[in-house]
Amino acid sequence: MQVEKFYYDNRTVKNFTYATIFWGVIGMTVGLYAALQLVFPQLNVTQYGSFGRLRPLHTNAVIFAFVGNGIFMGVYYSLQRLLKARMYSDLLSKIHFWGWQLIIVAAAISLPLGLTTGKEYAELEWPIDIAITLIWVVFGWNMFGTILKRREKHLYVAIWFYIATLVTVAVLHIVNSFELPISFFKSYSWYAGVQDALVQWWYGHNAVAFFLTTPYLGLMYYFLPKAANRPVYSYRLSIIHFWSLIFLYIWAGPHHLLYTALPNWAQSLGVVFSVMLIFPSWGGMINGLLTLRGAWDRVRDDVVLKFMVVAVTAYGMATFEGPMLSLKNVSAIAHYTDWIVAHVHVGALGWNGMLTFGIIYWLIPRIFKTNLFSKKLASAHFWLGTLGIIFYAVPLYWAGFTQSSMWKQFTESGQLKYSFLETVTYLKPFYAMRSLGGLLYVVGVLIMVYNVYKTVKAGKLVANEEAEAAPLEKHITKSGEHWHSKIERKPLQMMLFSLIVILIGGAIEIIPTFLIKSNVPTISSVKPYTPLELQGRDIYVREGCYTCHSQMIRPFRSETERYGEYSKAGEFVYDHPFQWGSKRTGPDLAREGTGNLKKTDGWHFRHFREPGSMSEGSIMPAYAFMLTQELDTSNTAAKIKAMRTLGVPYEKGFEYKANAHLLEQANGIVKNLKNDSIRISPTKEVIAMIAYMQRMGADINKQNQP
Amino acid sequence: MFKFIKKYAETMEHASIYPMISLLIFFIFFVVLLVYVKKMDKKSVQILSNIPLDVNEEQNTQPI
Repeated sequence: MQVEKFYYDNRTVKNFTYATIFWGVIGMTVGLYAALQLVFPQLNVTQYGSFGRLRPLHTNAVIFAFVGNGIFMGVYYSLQRLLKARMYSDLLSKIHFWGWQLIIVAAAISLPLGLTTGKEYAELEWPIDIAITLIWVVFGWNMFGTILKRREKHLYVAIWFYIATLVTVAVLHIVNSFELPISFFKSYSWYAGVQDALVQWWYGHNAVAFFLTTPYLGLMYYFLPKAANRPVYSYRLSIIHFWSLIFLYIWAGPHHLLYTALPNWAQSLGVVFSVMLIFPSWGGMINGLLTLRGAWDRVRDDVVLKFMVVAVTAYGMATFEGPMLSLKNVSAIAHYTDWIVAHVHVGALGWNGMLTFGIIYWLIPRIFKTNLFSKKLASAHFWLGTLGIIFYAVPLYWAGFTQSSMWKQFTESGQLKYSFLETVTYLKPFYAMRSLGGLLYVVGVLIMVYNVYKTVKAGKLVANEEAEAAPLEKHITKSGEHWHSKIERKPLQMMLFSLIVILIGGAIEIIPTFLIKSNVPTISSVKPYTPLELQGRDIYVREGCYTCHSQMIRPFRSETERYGEYSKAGEFVYDHPFQWGSKRTGPDLAREGTGNLKKTDGWHFRHFREPGSMSEGSIMPAYAFMLTQELDTSNTAAKIKAMRTLGVPYEKGFEYKANAHLLEQANGIVKNLKNDSIRISPTKEVIAMIAYMQRMGADINKQNQP
Repeated sequence: MFKFIKKYAETMEHASIYPMISLLIFFIFFVVLLVYVKKMDKKSVQILSNIPLDVNEEQNTQPI
């Protein structure tokens, strides 16, 4: 058969590689800065640079900008070669590249401005959500176009991982981003409370699964054999790895909500599937490491292989730890602590970071037709990166375990031994050490930037790389052929099948929670927020308070003693979005407005102005700007109306009276403050925040009053 | 949302059916998968696993 000549597009690969490096440096530097803020709270400069706004910027930049571009870099390189075809359309490649960068820029601007949906890893507001959907479709279109015009009959396992990623991320993103816009920059989650939490963590966990894991496994299955120059250890194992991983992952989300107000059966499902996940994950890790069998001596000299070995090992460690953390008894200790932060960084720095660097060092010399500028520098990067991970993770594991033990310790007379603040100040040295680990890692990345720059200067980009292959023969169906072999040749069926597999888990978990009323028992004394409280709550969301404070008291004695009555599902029915949080850098706030946690309005006022003045040693950023910033009440009516659309029972016409009601409540607070010798106008933001603080968790206690 | 089935679902009493359904789906799925992988033809497995290596663009396979 006549062979055809064609050209691989390396320019798009180069662009995505540069973007990966650029956003990697930005995302990690912001992370380092946020880490330092926990040691030196005075680094919270202005409202735009406070921890609550920078932390979402860090996570979004690392996940969607660094790893996102890393995915596209690897996919655009490997897909063309695995299919023996140029990408379907240069124009789509271009739109995809620039569209994705624009989305990132929009995120980098909007997050520090406080424009956020308040849902972790899905903070971007609705116009950006729509843009993500469109660009994702462009990516899928380009990918499927390439698959359809391929010159290789079979789809290699890496491509299955890419297809599963495409489909699942689309489903997750769309379902979790259901929101009702009230303006161009503000929307409310369609779901409330428990349901919002379930959807969010179904999304959140699968963002880990299908954004940070499956595409990178595809990259591992391509680039590791390439770098080692030998086929993958077991192709059969890779098939099992693929199907079992995508089948199980989608169920695991509720393990983020153990001991919360989520219905018990959903928690149990999440635990069981999370524990089972260890098998496919370790199958994949073993498959990766054993690919190097008989070639381990090369790991000594080949820096690319070094990066990849550490990456796959980190994948193994993180996926062992994940199922362990999903056990209820382990979660009881680890949840809300720095243990979780350490866990995700083993995944992000180890698995995603190191694999990305390995691929970049392998790829850049090839598309620039030259040798790497310096193996020594690459090796230095490797050691800085590896040590950085250790210096990062070990102090945080220690900190997490220590803090959790301190939270749970009682004196002989049955009192809590440590105040929350004592546990925070105790952790400061650990946070400092963690920052050192982060610094080492970032320095390593900067060395890579220099090395790549020098390599690129020495070479010349082969923008269109020549290749030859025979076109695809028309397939004649043999009778008795296996159904899976057919599927392997038919990408659309493959996609459909993956879609069905991931929908089963999501559907079984999510639909009953929405349909069965008994899953969320209502509490009659729980009432909608007043307009002022609602405005305050939106400021709470804007400032990213959920990045450090939970609003979910678990049913443990150590928590009910500290915070009060444990949280019930029915208390959150008007919370669009839910703000349960996932980390307690500061104390839980679910009952801030009631019981022995209740403080005066004056206390809150002074605490917002200067947290250290009320809680000595506090690492909370100061929110003094709320004392001078005017509360925007022009949108109160729109907010009330939107909430009513979402099912919050505000009476008809209430939106017209809302601002009068708001002012009345604000004046009450101003009066209280005046008695505390604080003078302030009722139209400042801090008043709304105080109103929200005083409301939190208070409804349930009204039940017992006549 | 889901109004047409909501009425029935709200009165659903046997919530325990969900774990059972899950277990069954899971079990059948993996048995079929294992049988398939076991029955795969050795030669085609080899061809498949060599796809990434079997290309003409190898200019330099030396470790860098």
